[in-house]
Amino acid sequence: MSEYSLVAAVLSVVLALACYVLAFAAVRVGGRQRAGMALSRAGAGGGTVTETATPRQGTNAFATYGTLLTYLAVGFLTAALIFRTIYTGHGPFANMYEFSVAFAWGALAMYAYFERRYRQRSLGLIALPIALALLLYAIGIGAENHPLVPALQNNLLLTVHVAVAIVAYGSFTVAFASALLFLSPWRRGLPSHELLDEISYKSVVVGYPFLTLTIVLGAVWAQTAWGSYWTWDPKETASLVTWLIYGSYLHARVVRGWRGERAALLLLLGFAATLFTYFGNLFFGGLHSYSGLGNP
Amino acid sequence: MSQSVRTPTLRRAEPDLGDDLGSGLAISPTALGERLWRFFISMQTGLVLILALAVLGLIGTLLVQAPAGLSADQQAYSAWLDALRPKYGGWTGVFDALGFFSIFTSVWFKGIVVLLTTSILSCSVNRAPHLWKQAVHPRTRMSESFYERTPLGATIDAAGTAEEAASEVRVALAARGFRTMRGADAEAGTVGVYADKNRWGPFGTVIAHLSLVSILIGALVGGATGFRNENLAVAVGSTVDVGYGTGLAVNAKSFSDSYYTDGSPSDYSSELVLYRDGKQVAAQTIRVNEPLRYGGVSFYQSFFGAAAAMKVTDPQGKVVFQQGVPLVWSSNDGKRRVGQVDLTDQGLTAYVIGAASGEVDPEIRPGQMMIEVYRSASQGTPIASQIMTQAQPVTIAGLGFTFERERQFTGLIVASDPGAVFIWLGSALLVGGIALVFFFPHRRAWARIRPGTRGSIVQLGAVGRHDVTFESEFRRLVDEMAIALAEPPTA
Ligand code: HEM
Repeated sequence: MSEYSLVAAVLSVVLALACYVLAFAAVRVGGRQRAGMALSRAGAGGGTVTETATPRQGTNAFATYGTLLTYLAVGFLTAALIFRTIYTGHGPFANMYEFSVAFAWGALAMYAYFERRYRQRSLGLIALPIALALLLYAIGIGAENHPLVPALQNNLLLTVHVAVAIVAYGSFTVAFASALLFLSPWRRGLPSHELLDEISYKSVVVGYPFLTLTIVLGAVWAQTAWGSYWTWDPKETASLVTWLIYGSYLHARVVRGWRGERAALLLLLGFAATLFTYFGNLFFGGLHSYSGLGNP
Repeated sequence: MSQSVRTPTLRRAEPDLGDDLGSGLAISPTALGERLWRFFISMQTGLVLILALAVLGLIGTLLVQAPAGLSADQQAYSAWLDALRPKYGGWTGVFDALGFFSIFTSVWFKGIVVLLTTSILSCSVNRAPHLWKQAVHPRTRMSESFYERTPLGATIDAAGTAEEAASEVRVALAARGFRTMRGADAEAGTVGVYADKNRWGPFGTVIAHLSLVSILIGALVGGATGFRNENLAVAVGSTVDVGYGTGLAVNAKSFSDSYYTDGSPSDYSSELVLYRDGKQVAAQTIRVNEPLRYGGVSFYQSFFGAAAAMKVTDPQGKVVFQQGVPLVWSSNDGKRRVGQVDLTDQGLTAYVIGAASGEVDPEIRPGQMMIEVYRSASQGTPIASQIMTQAQPVTIAGLGFTFERERQFTGLIVASDPGAVFIWLGSALLVGGIALVFFFPHRRAWARIRPGTRGSIVQLGAVGRHDVTFESEFRRLVDEMAIALAEPPTA
């Protein structure tokens, strides 16, 4: 069941992406108002009275379908994760397959949330391919299911640890998408710099507390399993680096020379660090290599 | 009714920060002190320090780090470095000289942590008085130009008098969860209103900053007063002193390991009994994730292996040693396991050697152990090396050595960290502080109501930190007020 849901999710993402691309193409060819890629002010909550009154006429059908398909993909992925959890008896934290599906879920769900809030579908042009890549990666490595080694048998703590991490990673994917659009030299059909800057900030505002909590919960787990809350294990250290980069971003926004472009660059760096942390277990080794304990 | 609303084209209010820097405290004992103070409260400094710490962290993840304590052993450390040379080539020496292989104990790391902590503390001290003033004695009156220039502003015509309109404005604000108060009047006839929400939210930054200091204190206290032994092997049936001045001794009553059908481990557990000065003080079965805690000392299940229950008697037949010997070392080829028996009074050291599990050893057959006895001072050649068959004593140097039976040993991590409370306190404050700043954003609004040709005119202005949510809330607020103000009060 989990696999079927996953495949359905992949198809939905592919179709959603196709819709967004078509809609975006229509924007670039036609006028941005008509295509609905950027219903920039209407309903975004920031419009003036007259702007709010602007009817949603002319919203490109592709754009609407894209949104619906994105929701559908989130639904399928949610189902995939639930079925998987029922099948394995634990949360999606035991291997890269489970974690990649969860990351993709986070990226899609956070994208859907920010799309609803800001009505900026162009973000999907970046967020969706990232989610798709994660899903294809998951399918590529396959859904093996090994029983949990003792250190990982801390179901509640680890499930929360991963759930919280997923929200953080998903938010950072959105922040990355809008930072990339911010830095894009082609502006036609894209949201304004100010709006992109705000979307980035808001997504970090969601992601940063969650990343902080992820790290703290990781420390709690390390303390109960190994008696040491911090061991400078490469994965821990990498997540600390990620945390520091997003921390510097938050502070950078109130320093004059660091606003705008430099802040956006910090977000690209932050997302690079996020991916590095995420794929880190593949080459770090260490406690997070999921090897568990053995003879000395 | 006429209503005009101005909301920004997503131009955010300038954070009211820059102009306040340095205004919190006027500490200037000397010009140098002043310069230092300015340096530490500068956000530019903070940014550079945070990023520098990130760079060190990156080095720490990319380069192999030396195991803790290894650098104390010159020989072992250079052997460890040599093993790295193929990987890093000529850079090995450079990295080593720069301390990159122990980056988290290097001067770079310590220096940056000290500077960053100073900076964080300075920023908080600098900013806190300002936040306090904003929360407790807010500025309740804004100038005319504020209303003209604020990105969130509106002008509404009201039917009632200025006083009536002011109370409607306050009701509408209160309905949205604002605390409202009468603002200082500008000139006769005008009425001011001030309203705010989440006025303690900004203290989240101060809490988050101080929490980092708590975490640092925790790390320092832990480093200075805690201990950690990752290799306490206790053979089943034996009692071993914990050491570190704890007066504790731990006995392993049993150990069990279980596996899934595919051979991967599913559970390790040890039944431990803890003694202090010979008296039992605690007993518990520990597992991975379920340590035994007693008086600030925790025992974690970590590893396990084979042990040999040994008895040593002197020529008079008196027992000088009787304990399980954990075979904690592995021979270089991995085929044998080795444990050590110190017979200090006799000036001897004995090694008990067994075949590693799953290995067929031509010399040491099942039910047998090999024993090698050395004079403690001279490591060179053993006095004797003999095979022991279970329960049959062999005599070496006048002593009788008996391999009584095979056992298992359980490997424990024993740790005590008095700094941990500061770590968890700091972590909770960090998460709480960050959540407070971000999820309870400080919001302020001002109104100025003056008599108009008919009724009164309400000018409204707000400051919220750059966000769409507040803009839409503000717009709804204005709509609600406009409706309420359109009707003259009936009561
Ligand atoms: C790793 C270390 C640090 C952490 C985790 C941290 C955390 C935070 C957080 C979560 C905020 C709220 C950000 C926002 O509202 O967007 C904040 C704000 C602030 N931080 Fe830090 N901080 C750190 C280091 C520093 C340093 C070194 C300084 C001083 C140079 C500093 C000065 C400030 C100031 C002045 C604010 C308020 C900014 C405003 O009012 O918008 N912080 N900090």
